[in-house]
Amino acid sequence: MNLNLVIIVSVAFAIAAYLVSKVNDKAGAFMTVAGSMFALVTVFLLRNSIGSEISFLYFNFNLTVTGWYFSLVMLTAYSMTAFFNPFWMKKLIYPAGYNFLYLLSMAGTLGVFFAKDFITLFVFWETVVWSSAFIIQMGKSRQAAYVYYVISAIGSMATLFAIMFAYGTTGTFVINEAFKGLAGYPGRAIVIFITFIAAGMAKIGIFPFHVWLPSAHGSAPHTFSPVLSGGLVKMGAFVALLSVTAFPAYEIFKDMASFRGIPLPIYFMMALGAISIVAGTLMAIKQEDAKKLLAYSSVANGGYILIGLLMLDQVGFAGGMMHIVNHAVASAAAFLSIAAVAYRTGTTKMSEMGGMIHRMPVTYLVYLIAIISMAGIPPMGGFVSKWLIFQGLADKGLIFLATTAFFGSIGSFLYVFRPLSAVFLGQTFTRDLEKKEVGFFMMFPMLILTLLSLLTGVFPNIFLRVVVEIQSAFGMLPVTLAENTIVTSNGFLDAFRVFIVFGFGFAIAFVLFVIRRKSRKVELMDTFTSAEFIHTRELLHYSHSFYAPFERLYEKAPDTMKLYHKAAVKINELGNMAESAFFGIRPARTVLLVMGMVLIVIIAGGVL
Amino acid sequence: MMINPVLLIAIPLGLAFIAVVFKKLQGWILAIGVAANAFLVFFVEKGETAIGGFKLPFAISLVLDDFSFIGVILVNVLTLAAVAVAFRKTEKYVPVILAGLAGLNGMVLTGDMFNLFVFMEITAISAYILSSEGRKPEQSFNYLVIGSIGSVLYLLGLILIYGQTGTLNMSLMAEKSALIGQAAMVLPLVLIFAGIAVEAKLLPMSGWVRGVLGNSNALTGVMFASVYSSAALMVFGRVFSQVLIPGTTAGVIIIVIALLTFAAGQVSAFRSKSLRQVLLYSSIAQSGLAAALFATGFVFPAVLVIINNAAGKMIMFSTAGNLEEKYGTDDYVGLGGAFVRNMPAGVAFTIAALSLTGLPLVFGFYAKLNVLAAYLNQGTFFVPAVVLAGTIIEGAYFIRILIKLWAPGKEGEWADADQSVGEKKIFNPAGTVVVILVTLLIILSGFLPDSVGKLVAPGGGLLGDEGPSISMTMEKGGDQ
Repeated sequence: MNLNLVIIVSVAFAIAAYLVSKVNDKAGAFMTVAGSMFALVTVFLLRNSIGSEISFLYFNFNLTVTGWYFSLVMLTAYSMTAFFNPFWMKKLIYPAGYNFLYLLSMAGTLGVFFAKDFITLFVFWETVVWSSAFIIQMGKSRQAAYVYYVISAIGSMATLFAIMFAYGTTGTFVINEAFKGLAGYPGRAIVIFITFIAAGMAKIGIFPFHVWLPSAHGSAPHTFSPVLSGGLVKMGAFVALLSVTAFPAYEIFKDMASFRGIPLPIYFMMALGAISIVAGTLMAIKQEDAKKLLAYSSVANGGYILIGLLMLDQVGFAGGMMHIVNHAVASAAAFLSIAAVAYRTGTTKMSEMGGMIHRMPVTYLVYLIAIISMAGIPPMGGFVSKWLIFQGLADKGLIFLATTAFFGSIGSFLYVFRPLSAVFLGQTFTRDLEKKEVGFFMMFPMLILTLLSLLTGVFPNIFLRVVVEIQSAFGMLPVTLAENTIVTSNGFLDAFRVFIVFGFGFAIAFVLFVIRRKSRKVELMDTFTSAEFIHTRELLHYSHSFYAPFERLYEKAPDTMKLYHKAAVKINELGNMAESAFFGIRPARTVLLVMGMVLIVIIAGGVL
Repeated sequence: MMINPVLLIAIPLGLAFIAVVFKKLQGWILAIGVAANAFLVFFVEKGETAIGGFKLPFAISLVLDDFSFIGVILVNVLTLAAVAVAFRKTEKYVPVILAGLAGLNGMVLTGDMFNLFVFMEITAISAYILSSEGRKPEQSFNYLVIGSIGSVLYLLGLILIYGQTGTLNMSLMAEKSALIGQAAMVLPLVLIFAGIAVEAKLLPMSGWVRGVLGNSNALTGVMFASVYSSAALMVFGRVFSQVLIPGTTAGVIIIVIALLTFAAGQVSAFRSKSLRQVLLYSSIAQSGLAAALFATGFVFPAVLVIINNAAGKMIMFSTAGNLEEKYGTDDYVGLGGAFVRNMPAGVAFTIAALSLTGLPLVFGFYAKLNVLAAYLNQGTFFVPAVVLAGTIIEGAYFIRILIKLWAPGKEGEWADADQSVGEKKIFNPAGTVVVILVTLLIILSGFLPDSVGKLVAPGGGLLGDEGPSISMTMEKGGDQ
């Protein structure tokens, strides 16, 4: 099986899924499971053919270890989420179209990661953008798809500009060569760097491009949000990675003003990442919708990834790469668990749910472990990657970035806990009393993702060994790995030992729980207040405006979306102006315009 | 067997007269006429043909080279498509369409500047009559006035040039005008520009477009947006990249006006709420882009832009016209979900929109890459920046329409087929077939861009330009 075939077969699966869905949409949805699992397994088996190259039509592919790593992350998100698809067909306006686009966008991401030249990369990139935009519109908001598309377009058109500009300068599209000759053109290099990274920033959801995430992640079909957050966002990380490796930014900008060894253009991007961490964290705390909350947390986590990757060093970079896996797994799991809850309750609004732990204990556990990883608490994967990123920041003495990173970490405790307490803990709502746990088919992917979160946390070196290869491929000093430990200049991390300690604590607590289990089980409604019994369960559940006092501190913070609205209004005004000036429906105006033009020409002709 | 290019003009013109006499057979005559032309166009003999009994360069000549070949293919095939999609609407206009077709072929083929004027007038008259289908006499009148102004200006410019070169033959004029000082050429060039700009929908002569195309139906919309404007732009290309190559001053003026047209078209489309209005402004923008490319000397990318626009607008205007007819509105907000039960029409419209925006996997991407590469290879990055900014706006207004028409539903609720405006079929079976064929062409050519490049410019270039500014497969193997 070669690279071409993986993509071609994926597209074939997409078409087959479409045709099958026309007959039976559920069967078509199972095709998405088959297609994505097929791609996952085949790409995994391509491990030994790294370095192979192949062309098809005008596309040129090559398999790098980076592409392999990214595509596995992506396919994990796609294939695990696909297990949910069969259960959501009834909700969708175009089940067949959904299944088709689901697999088409997946094939598109593979093309992005395997691309050898920028044309190939861009073609597949845009394919992913429009196919996912068409999926998002099937969800709860049309506006979301619009915003998603426009923000993506701003990014990708900038990137197209960069690609073509570099082509005009160096005469090639090959990813590894196109930017190499730019050192002689410092002015162009800056323009190209900034415009090239734009698509990546837009996709990761870095400030000021982050506005699409809450609406798109929050409103997309529940089965697509995990892919968006766990997978597609990582495509942006891939471009960000290219902008410091394929575009040798550190080399090209080495004579420029720098801050702690980081040239200013790169530092500027990292600062945007830091702003995203803060903005994402603060906004996530405010959300009332679980999916929107997770979307903002993706913004914050995107900031970590960007900062880590752009450091391009031994430790921080490894952290960034590792965080790609961790966040993909954890956020896919979290979104899936919310989807599972929504499957039973029909809502994602936190204030409309409660106590689901009693009804859906496994889903609760999945969510719990996912957020432990997201918040960066051991023994889950998120801890390892954040630890590495912190190490990198501390090593370089990047105070501002480190502060925001810590802020985001602490803030994440605040927000990830909210869905936990609002959705899963507390009183079960009356209407949800009869709800059941989801079936095994939906539980399976959630459990796999949960185990993956644990695996990355306990044995991070499995993943870091690939990262070492990636670092070596880019000529960096790779992160130092011992048997089961990660060694940095400030110390070392033995994740397994951490796990043992935590496991030990957990075991003791569990033993205590078992032997002291003599307390009487009290029904949740077995309580009273002000000498009255309460019969409305909902009143006993507090989940609205959880952090009101804290939110008040920044309620006046500017809304980035307003900037885009203003831009749209301005373009509208320009349009009104252009229409009345040039396209008026009175011929007299045309005559005036022509006379003006001729006059200008006569004067200009006389002068020139 | 190769045929004489004059047949492309003579057949429809003759049939137009016959159609006036045999009113009952008009439908057949039209069908035969446009089909014959669309078929014969592929067998026309290349080269320069003198007509009228004089020797060249005194005779009127028809020139069929790679460039005008694309022009006649576009004109004849798209006319066939327009007639096939909206056959019922052609009833009253059979002679008009046929005469217009003759004029269009003449415009594209002619090698004589005055003859060009004659054919442009024939075309324009048929266009005025067709515009009356919109039942807005004021708009047709407006069109007529602007068209007449354009004609006068064109003639004025031509007289000035004739006075300096002493010939009307294009190739001879090209040789002689190169010897004239640039300053003396600026005014006539701008006057001729204004004349061609009417049908090409360029500023400042585009005042008629909103009134006419805004009230078009599936027939007239396609005729104006695809057929007439392609022919006019091809003429624009012929005149400004071969006959009267603008010097610096005139070039800057024309390019600035063309880019202004592009920008004004895009922002106006962004503000429009009516489907046809969005489309007509987008057409204006595309015309501006093509004109800017021609005036810079980038013929090949310009031709790609024209082809892309013609194919895309054929699908979109026929859809919009039919939607207006079926639902009584073409405000796209009021057409939510019109594609839900119209899969083929919806997919065609979507592909056309993707292609016009220049998104990958369809033909428009190749066109866009060539546009960008042409300028950036030359070291100009201002124009590509404008083009890409325009593309963002273009993408925004198209995606807004697509979302509306595909996914009906209230904000905050899942898209729901029951919320759609209706289930009326947009196209009749014949129309569906035509639209699907055009869509397939757009998709197929998107996958085989370099072959399309070879088809468009078999000699490598058009009218002396370098041809494709980019080869998509150039990097194969990566060792070049």
